[in-house]
Amino acid sequence: MEEFVGEIWHKLITRQARTDFENARVHLASLQPQLAPYFRALGGESGKGIEGADHRVFNTNRRLVQRMAGSHRRFAVCWQDERSLRFPDSIAYFPDAEMNTSLYFWLTALAAELPQIKHWFVDNQTATLKLLKKRPGLIPEYQRLADAFILMRPSLVSLKGQDRQREEAIQQAIKEPGTIATLPIAKGDPIPLPLWVYPAPLHGLITSSEDDLEDQGKGNKAEENLDSNRKQAQRFDDSKQTDGLLVFQLECLFSWAEQVELDRCQEEDLDQDLSSAAEDLDIISLSRQRRAGSAKIKFDMDLPAPQNDDLPIGDGHRLPEWDYRKERMIQDYCLLQPMLADDALPSPVPEHLKNQARSLRNRFSMLQTNRQLQHRQLQGDEIDLDAWIDVKTQPHRNIDNQNLYINRDNNHRDLACLLLADLSMSTDAGLNAEQRVIDVIRDTMLLFAEALSATRDPFAIYGFSSVKNKQVRYQLLKNFAEPYNDQVRGRLQAVKPGFYTRMGAAIRQSSEILKLQKSQQRLLLILSDGKPNDIDRYEGRYGIEDTRKAVLEAKQQGLQPFCVTIDEKGNDYLPYLFGDQGYAVISDLTRLPILLPKLYLNLTGTHA
Amino acid sequence: MHKSLKEDDTMSNNAYLSQGREVEIFKTAAENNLPVLIKGPTGCGKTRFVEHMAEQLHRPIHTVACHDDLTAADLVGRHLIGAEGTYWQDGPLTRAVREGGICYLDEVVEARKDTTVVLHPLSDHRRILPIERTGELIQAHPDFMLVISYNPGYQNLMKGLKPSTRQRFVALSFDYPAPDREVVILCQESGIDKQQAQQLVSLGGDLRRLKDHDLEEAASTRLLIYAARMINAGLPAREACTTCLAQPLTDEVETLAAIERLIQAYF
Repeated sequence: MEEFVGEIWHKLITRQARTDFENARVHLASLQPQLAPYFRALGGESGKGIEGADHRVFNTNRRLVQRMAGSHRRFAVCWQDERSLRFPDSIAYFPDAEMNTSLYFWLTALAAELPQIKHWFVDNQTATLKLLKKRPGLIPEYQRLADAFILMRPSLVSLKGQDRQREEAIQQAIKEPGTIATLPIAKGDPIPLPLWVYPAPLHGLITSSEDDLEDQGKGNKAEENLDSNRKQAQRFDDSKQTDGLLVFQLECLFSWAEQVELDRCQEEDLDQDLSSAAEDLDIISLSRQRRAGSAKIKFDMDLPAPQNDDLPIGDGHRLPEWDYRKERMIQDYCLLQPMLADDALPSPVPEHLKNQARSLRNRFSMLQTNRQLQHRQLQGDEIDLDAWIDVKTQPHRNIDNQNLYINRDNNHRDLACLLLADLSMSTDAGLNAEQRVIDVIRDTMLLFAEALSATRDPFAIYGFSSVKNKQVRYQLLKNFAEPYNDQVRGRLQAVKPGFYTRMGAAIRQSSEILKLQKSQQRLLLILSDGKPNDIDRYEGRYGIEDTRKAVLEAKQQGLQPFCVTIDEKGNDYLPYLFGDQGYAVISDLTRLPILLPKLYLNLTGTHA
Repeated sequence: MHKSLKEDDTMSNNAYLSQGREVEIFKTAAENNLPVLIKGPTGCGKTRFVEHMAEQLHRPIHTVACHDDLTAADLVGRHLIGAEGTYWQDGPLTRAVREGGICYLDEVVEARKDTTVVLHPLSDHRRILPIERTGELIQAHPDFMLVISYNPGYQNLMKGLKPSTRQRFVALSFDYPAPDREVVILCQESGIDKQQAQQLVSLGGDLRRLKDHDLEEAASTRLLIYAARMINAGLPAREACTTCLAQPLTDEVETLAAIERLIQAYF
């Protein structure tokens, strides 16, 4: 009963306290694909992603009902750091959905104009002024937003003293940006201004990226369910083992957010409700003390023992890597180790693929490149003397035969293709009851090889996975020189999921190999299942920027990189990596084995 | 514009606004019988420059737009059959070599690889064109000049120009003109007022930032001129920009929506 009444009361009071317009709510996710190019076009840093922002605590003057409901304490505001641009997950500030959409675009434009904030109050005004001057089309829109904004603010009549002065200054700064130089001081924080960009939080979390001991096993399910908005992070120094005296005001109860020096390492069942617990937190405190909360030991990321591992070929190649922060190449940073599965036994095409393989072979064998002379053409380089003699000797038969020329067959293709498959650990994930992602990738490689061997286009197949920069494992499955035979088929069937995805190094090595081919068109086909990542700093923007650099290098060398991915979120980052036309997202993975050969035909401009 | 070029020679100084010293360099190369290679993105004024230079040097221009089926025979010439039997028909290159003038091969990388090989004896000190089909060996006219151009976007890079071919040319690299120059060009070519031209140019600058991520190719000066002309002809600015600057650049719905917003930020 108590609970029931409490719930009703909560609902009632939160509804009373609500200032949002639920019907006009606009979500970031739906606008994100538009905001990203908009941001880039307006001069925002092109590598920056767009993410949901965390809620921040603002100590505002709340109305009684708001205080009772416990709302209006935390607000999501727009801010950016060097990694990404953060927006509230959804905006329902204005009663009109169109206005809320406009607000997103306005914030994007302002953020592009204001990459760094020194003085929040002044910088926002000057940036607004600059933006409106540069792009006069924004003036009416800004006016509309500003007018609506003033209406949403607390009325000046209701305020007194310092509060009133401050609110006046804010409203004036929005109405006529650039006219107010200082914000009058008043108690508490002003109610957040949704039209402005806020500075990044002070206590940002700096992860030490070169940490060797990072324990990153497979994430718990509950972790993955967290929605995209981020939490403020705070790092505490808990190296001191003495239990200090806790000082707190008695009227506040302990909430989840307080850091308690309590060793919970043994409570393993705590993670059941991690996601809802995390939702309730303002701040997630991270401890630097490295004691795994869980007793599970993860063996799977260890490298296999040498006798069980594939045969390493040579001492490996040292490859550079791009550090976007320093904007330079780190020479010889990655050690790429070519590997050969020498114990894989030769085997024929597996039973379940036999039919598909046969039909693909048949279809593709029609595409064999044969440069023939076409006789009796209407146009051509040479005169077809036979046709000419025919016309001359039998004028009654072909009286207006004009087909007197020889032409060379234009339909020839001069093409080499290197297929680079991502064999990272994530491919071990189950796809359905019978198949894992790796199984589909394996089938795809087999069928692709069957099809290409029928065309006699030179091709090679490599796979890769990595364990940090020290071992980028580059699996040789078929090189350009060797014929496609059961030995290769055996190797293809023996591929197993590896470790992480250091894509840049693998692309660089593949470019080196493909570059040596003499063909006119050189296709670098990358088969992937997600973003580049590794357990060191190679994740997020770093990995993306390095991969992009490697792709650009490949393009500069005259290769044609193309990525086929099964990552449905690929649309977010793939245009940045491979360009607008440089990738394909395949939603139904089971169709990949059939789609890839088709895609090959499209890419090479041949029609089967 | 072409008309005015031919009508009045003094006009031609205005018709091409140089970006740097390319006019002087081209002239010097022409005086020294050296072939010229021009590279630059789509619609940045390569063809306009060559036409302008032909005008300046008082030489006729033979333009060949290269395509991927262009063969050596298309350039050099071929035997044809007429009422009297077979006869030889000169191709544009042969004609330029015989009569003098600038032979301009536009987008040369599009042509087949074997095509460019016929250019080799013409583009070094020999300046000859051997025609194997007729057994002729033509010494180039003193006024003959070979100019080729291509767009080093990645699509063409995968075809590329043979290093042995590139090595024979004086190369000029073009890019989109600097904003203030582009404003002048827009005003001249379309007749719109300076303020609108400035807005168009900075919109173009914004769009050019999207190259390589969201757009395959950036908004060219040519497209900006198109948009300016449409505006000058009375089309509302937003509509003109959508049809000239958004739609031609992409088919992607989300990118189009973002570009629409961008246009609204200017007009």
